[in-house]
Amino acid sequence: MSLANRMALASPQIRALCVEANEFPRLSAEFGVRGVPHTVVNRRGAFVGALPERDFVAAVLEGAGVPVEASPAQNGPSTELGG
Amino acid sequence: MSVIPEHVRAQLKARFDLRLSGPVHLTLYTRPGSSRLILPAGVGCATCEDARQMAELLKDAAPEKVTLDVVDTSRDPGRAIADRVDDVPTIAVGANTEVGRIRFQGLPTGTEFPALIDAVERVSRAEHGLNPASLSELARLNEPTEVMVFATPT
Repeated sequence: MSLANRMALASPQIRALCVEANEFPRLSAEFGVRGVPHTVVNRRGAFVGALPERDFVAAVLEGAGVPVEASPAQNGPSTELGG
Repeated sequence: MSVIPEHVRAQLKARFDLRLSGPVHLTLYTRPGSSRLILPAGVGCATCEDARQMAELLKDAAPEKVTLDVVDTSRDPGRAIADRVDDVPTIAVGANTEVGRIRFQGLPTGTEFPALIDAVERVSRAEHGLNPASLSELARLNEPTEVMVFATPT
């Protein structure tokens, strides 16, 4: 969730919402949460697990309907996992 | 009952003394609670009081930099709608007096508590820490985008 928060800090287009899954079981069920971190972009596309920064950004863009142009290699190495 | 031990308060104050630079504004959206009673959805709020204590913990750790606005959504439902807050408790983290785009819905314990602390510190320092390639990619977003991350205390 830290990566989502950092993206919200970096981009005025992004709003990061961290949801305590157990406290909102109906919302968790609505989005098919089976494991965490479970990330949902614009209440549509979703992915599960902690991703490296470059992959997380790419997944968010894809979920937002923005074509992903850069290959992972262009983004340089990243070892930080996020969700 | 306080959910925050005294030694945690002291640790947080020492940490914020070192790591906060600019102002941080917290907005807590809440409604009258029912403590630990489990009520039907939409009635009461089992964790709002704990969330209030947590938000006040953050404010009290650096009162010269952290401000807190508490919104009772039962009295001001229009504010929650305007700020696009779906449920309570929600803590929004932003700079100055803006309503932040970094939000925690539910009581941020477990893995979420360090993320909340990290968010406060990064907002204070305006430090996202993303690499330039990521920023370049994010600049291609031209519409508001919500990134919702489900987490659990364990």
